[in-house]
Amino acid sequence: MTPPDLWRLSLENLWRTKLRSVLTTLGVVIGIGALVSMVSFGVGMQENVTSEFRENDLFTSMQVLPAKIDVGEIMAGGFEPPQTVKALNDSAVEAIRAIPAVELAFPEIRFPVTVRMMGKEARTSLQAVPAAMGRYKPFSEIPYGSFYASELVPISVDSLIGREVEIVSSTLDLQSAARAFMRSFTAPSRLPLREEVVRLRVVGVRGRLSGFGAARFRGGVIVPIETGAAMPRLGFSDVWDLLDSSEGTQGYGSVYVRTRGMDDITPVREAVEEMGFGVLAVIDELEEIKQTFLIMDALLGAVGTIALIVAALGIINTMVTSILERTREIGVMKAVGGSETDIRWIFFLEAATIGFIGGAFGLALGWAVTRIANVVANHYLRPQGVPEVDLFYMPVWLIAGALVFSVGVSLLAGFYPASRAARVDPVQALRHD
Amino acid sequence: MTPFVLTRDLCKTYQKGTVPIPVLQGVSLEVAKGEYVSVVGRSGSGKSTLLNLLGGLDTATSGRIVVGDSDVTSMSRQDLAVHRRSTVGMIFQSFNLIPSRTALENITLALAFGGYPRSDRRRRASELLSSVGLEHRLSHTPGELSGGEAQRVAIARALANAPDVLLADEPTGNLDSKTAEEIVGLLVALNSERGLTVVMVSHDEATAREVSHRVFRLLDGRVIDELSGRADG
Ligand SMILES: Nc1ncnc2c1ncn2[C@@H]1O[C@H](COP(=O)(O)OP(=O)(O)OP(=O)(O)O)[C@@H](O)[C@H]1O
Ligand SMILES: [Mg+2]
Repeated sequence: MTPPDLWRLSLENLWRTKLRSVLTTLGVVIGIGALVSMVSFGVGMQENVTSEFRENDLFTSMQVLPAKIDVGEIMAGGFEPPQTVKALNDSAVEAIRAIPAVELAFPEIRFPVTVRMMGKEARTSLQAVPAAMGRYKPFSEIPYGSFYASELVPISVDSLIGREVEIVSSTLDLQSAARAFMRSFTAPSRLPLREEVVRLRVVGVRGRLSGFGAARFRGGVIVPIETGAAMPRLGFSDVWDLLDSSEGTQGYGSVYVRTRGMDDITPVREAVEEMGFGVLAVIDELEEIKQTFLIMDALLGAVGTIALIVAALGIINTMVTSILERTREIGVMKAVGGSETDIRWIFFLEAATIGFIGGAFGLALGWAVTRIANVVANHYLRPQGVPEVDLFYMPVWLIAGALVFSVGVSLLAGFYPASRAARVDPVQALRHD
Repeated sequence: MTPFVLTRDLCKTYQKGTVPIPVLQGVSLEVAKGEYVSVVGRSGSGKSTLLNLLGGLDTATSGRIVVGDSDVTSMSRQDLAVHRRSTVGMIFQSFNLIPSRTALENITLALAFGGYPRSDRRRRASELLSSVGLEHRLSHTPGELSGGEAQRVAIARALANAPDVLLADEPTGNLDSKTAEEIVGLLVALNSERGLTVVMVSHDEATAREVSHRVFRLLDGRVIDELSGRADG
């Protein structure tokens, strides 16, 4: 029998038992629908995170630390500050800047401040960022006013823009503490802090920060590097400063480095490490995140696959039933010249057809589910200030893969029934009842 | 006489668990081309088994079967399928038509297995049905046909791929005597007009002797008697 004949025959067989064929196919539709929407969700998550990383240029940035530090070791409590730590000072920053492919390197200065303006005050943190960062997210998207174009703060005029703010930072006031001690011979009840006030002008106000990339620049007040470096403050502002406070070192807690491209990360990191500094790059974390996504995808895929396995059992059940019903017919086909190969193919093609049609409709179902889920999810997320986002992603490989998988699983399910049909003994099958 | 169908010491033993059940115990017979022979014998004597072996539906335990110039006993399962579709045509007591298909479709299915081009099948199938007198029953399903009509469809199907030998296993067993006569008449006509070799199993020895050239009597898996039939053999 020619392949089209075999194909036609299996379609006729499916058509003859319409209800059963439709129900069996429905099983596959649901299985593939579940698989596709699950995997689509996993892929969508990954896609959103990766593009977030990319948009925030996290693939091209790294953090340089005074010494090679193993974060895991610190977490485990086994960290001992090295005896000789190379200072991450201005000359070190210069040296890093001189590495080819380094686009930008600046010390990370961040400390808590109080902002006073128009009779109100708020506690926040101050962060020093060079004017050159104005080209990159999140500073390239300042909704009100503008980012400072140079290290010299320009003044523009608007209701808020151009106003003066008082930035209040604290320093240790050892003199007054000592004086107080001399007077009463008691230790002060609170830290002897002194307020230092600096007046600056607002040039721009940035919008709400969201996403992974923004965390690095979450400071409430952003000032140029020179301004930030010159502001009086406590000698430490974060953990790195404390770790770094061993004798003989003086310098910054960390230095932010941007490379020209993603591929430059590795050579730049090697050069920096050669200089004796430690490097933390987000790209390392990305590998971990990818690992996590792989596990999540596998779990989501497993749920979908279970649905598909149930569908495959449905196919086996339907086909075994139909073979039992059609034993005589198989005998007749053999008596008029059908070979075992012919019979096997007829049943195989029935399974393949169920798999293909089920896969196609399953894809449609999966797509519909993801669209609806997306609308619903965004509807609930919007009031919470989450920007509109497509939670699902359906790449071509997922579409093609789902179809191939569906047909493959169906063929696998059809394998046993088909060979059972091929082995039907025509003498038994044709024996009169 | 040069035999067209030949069996030599043909044995078939079924295995019921560990118990061997010998059904054919050395059947040797020869049938010439264009001959009409019948096989008679008591129920259980092995008539159907012999016919199924000739038709390539079953395989012998030992001995030889030759049809035309091919050794059926040495055929692979694929070759047996080719043998069934092109050398022999089989009809059965219970017709064995596919109930969901019309008379015409039952025949086009056989033509499809025989490798007939699709465009030709319907035309040839209706010609075959006309030749057995059923031109007015093309689109009837087996359930809508009388027993005689169903057996005619089965005969037309057996002839679909132009076989050399027609194997008929009690073709009139389910029919009343008048219809049975018509069916046997059709087989005789096919034999005499087209020179088709016919091997028919029957339990009616008188009719068998009347219509066949020769009659073999089977008992317990052996040919115990060869009777002469109608004169022109
Ligand atoms: N698959 C089998 N397993 C065991 N025994 C079998 C098998 N097939 C047939 N037999 C036995 O072989 C013997 C011959 O069977 P066969 O059908 O050839 O007889 P028959 O002459 O055609 O009888 P009838 O006139 O009733 O059709 C019977 O006794 C039957 O029980
Ligand atoms: Mg019998």
